[in-house]
Amino acid sequence: MAAAALDNANPTILSASQLPTRQKRSAPRNGPDCRYSDLIFAKPSYMSRPFLQDDDIRYQDDTAAAVAWSRFGAGSGAAAEVDLSAEPIDEQEIYDLISSITDPEHPVSLGQLSVVNLPDIHITPSPALGVPSPNTIVQVTVELTPTVTHCSLATVLGLGVRVRLEQVLPPNYRVEVICKENSHSQDDQVNKQLSDKERVAAALENDSLRSVLDKMLESCLEN
Amino acid sequence: MASAKIVQLQSLKPDLHERAWVSIPHPNLPLIATAHGKNVTVFSLSTLSLHSVLADGHSRSVRSVSWKPNLPPHNLCLITGSFDSSAGVWRWANGGDEGDDDSADGLGRDMTRGPGNEDSAKTGDWDYNLVLEGHDSEVKGCAFSPSGAYLATCSRDKSIWIWEDIASAESEDDWETIAVLNEHEGDVKAVAWCPDVPGRNNVGQRYYSVDVLASASYDNTARIWREDSDGEWVCVAVLQGHQGTVWGVEWEPRPKNDEFPRLMTFSADGTIRVWTLEQGKDGTDADGSTIPQDRPGGIPSTMRRSFREQWNCTAVLPKVHDKDVYSVTWSADSGLVASTGSDGIVALYKEDSDVVSNFQSAPEDNAPNDSARSNHDGSTVSGPQWQLLTTVPNAHGPYEINHITWCKRHDAGSTRRGEEEMLVTTGDDGVVQSWQVDVKSP
Repeated sequence: MAAAALDNANPTILSASQLPTRQKRSAPRNGPDCRYSDLIFAKPSYMSRPFLQDDDIRYQDDTAAAVAWSRFGAGSGAAAEVDLSAEPIDEQEIYDLISSITDPEHPVSLGQLSVVNLPDIHITPSPALGVPSPNTIVQVTVELTPTVTHCSLATVLGLGVRVRLEQVLPPNYRVEVICKENSHSQDDQVNKQLSDKERVAAALENDSLRSVLDKMLESCLEN
Repeated sequence: MASAKIVQLQSLKPDLHERAWVSIPHPNLPLIATAHGKNVTVFSLSTLSLHSVLADGHSRSVRSVSWKPNLPPHNLCLITGSFDSSAGVWRWANGGDEGDDDSADGLGRDMTRGPGNEDSAKTGDWDYNLVLEGHDSEVKGCAFSPSGAYLATCSRDKSIWIWEDIASAESEDDWETIAVLNEHEGDVKAVAWCPDVPGRNNVGQRYYSVDVLASASYDNTARIWREDSDGEWVCVAVLQGHQGTVWGVEWEPRPKNDEFPRLMTFSADGTIRVWTLEQGKDGTDADGSTIPQDRPGGIPSTMRRSFREQWNCTAVLPKVHDKDVYSVTWSADSGLVASTGSDGIVALYKEDSDVVSNFQSAPEDNAPNDSARSNHDGSTVSGPQWQLLTTVPNAHGPYEINHITWCKRHDAGSTRRGEEEMLVTTGDDGVVQSWQVDVKSP
């Protein structure tokens, strides 16, 4: 991409060491992708609900479901720790998942560009209350600060964040990505698009957009 | 207060293991078609298992389906609306004489037996007959008019297209576009035709033909469309009040006292609204002169649009959902309404019929918003028009639910097959789940 085409040719860039992170802690970790494997792969309670009329069918399906679900964890590879669900997913965890996404215009991460910031990540109910049950709907709201107010790529950035989180978070997590108030001239339009499930689903089937997103998310998988 | 219980029945087999958008029951046969991925899976409601699969037609996801009604026995026709910008016309063809039983029940049960294994491939299969092209971007909804004469499709390109099959034989396909409606200012999310009930056919005939189309949009409005005496399709009303995308519209399937069917709209703002057509005092349609607030100046006689219809928001259902309401279904048999959405809750509502007439005599100058609010306050109405009977949280575990519909039970577990109703929900988990509803009146 020619420099002249950039929306923001000279963004402020932080060095990676300036970013808030827990990833360098001395405590052994296998990375965010596998920490919640047991949550993700656990047989959820709704699959053993009462009133079933044909248990045999249901049991077969559990196996099938487990196979299908294992897609969520594909790529994390490493054997999971035994006691993984003890810690709830917190804001830092979300930050670590999305700050490493690469900006579509610059070869640096959204964390380095301060597009995503730790204080702008909100989780309800609060992770301080402990690990939510697998059926508790947890709302994750990420406020983005696009690099310039007219940034035409705000929608793409937001889509990248939403896709990244939906790929790795358990199904009871609902992801909302919005532009931080007054940070973008078309906040409302961008926010409405990003919260429209149908539009997001259709966008992901658009090959050219998909390849942009894949490139943005590549850097997340390298850690 | 009536008490109600929603009991989980079987899920339809097999699970689809990917997001499923919608499940539409056949108008009279025991079949239900579920859109998921690029395919449609048809389940038998008799066996609650696979009947057939419509595959290899679309290059992107199928978002919506519609069964063509009023076909001769042994014929099936399904329309698929896809993110690939096209709509597909599929027909079920009987492959040969084998397995052909001349069952006298008129339901063509040989077609509905399934399962979709090699046996059924011998007795019949789906043909992808035709692609309806014209939309510029994703087709999000499709629906047949009650007679089957018209098909409406809608798209992210903000337009609604109305198509007519002018082929001489039912097995052939020769479709022509009879109207392109462009007034929405955002994606058109869904379309639905007013059912063919006596109330529909008593109203509006002075200016319009009988078919009435409703549409829902990303522009936060719903619109009503009719065909005027010149054969032009025009927007006769804009329903404003929702604070977010209107995900869909649901017509009242069986109005009381031959009234014109009401319309429910449901939205990303978490609310469900009920709209009523304002009719003249003699019970016929309000003609142009009785709507003074609409274009008081001289309207050129060529502008048939001047005959606007006045639709008022006459109720807001009790609030259950915090976020998007993706689907609402209104039972023709019981009048009960069920809703669902991104919170995974299934909610059941009942109308308190005694209070309705009071509300309709409310002052006419209320804006839709105000009338809705006065309903909440109870200042205009003596009590709630709609009561919440019960809810089921986490009906698909932690997953979002995209669709809910009433349909007849035909499975062996029902004591009144073909009459008893059940709910069917369709979710992001790829599960198509049936539910029994028991309501006990006090």
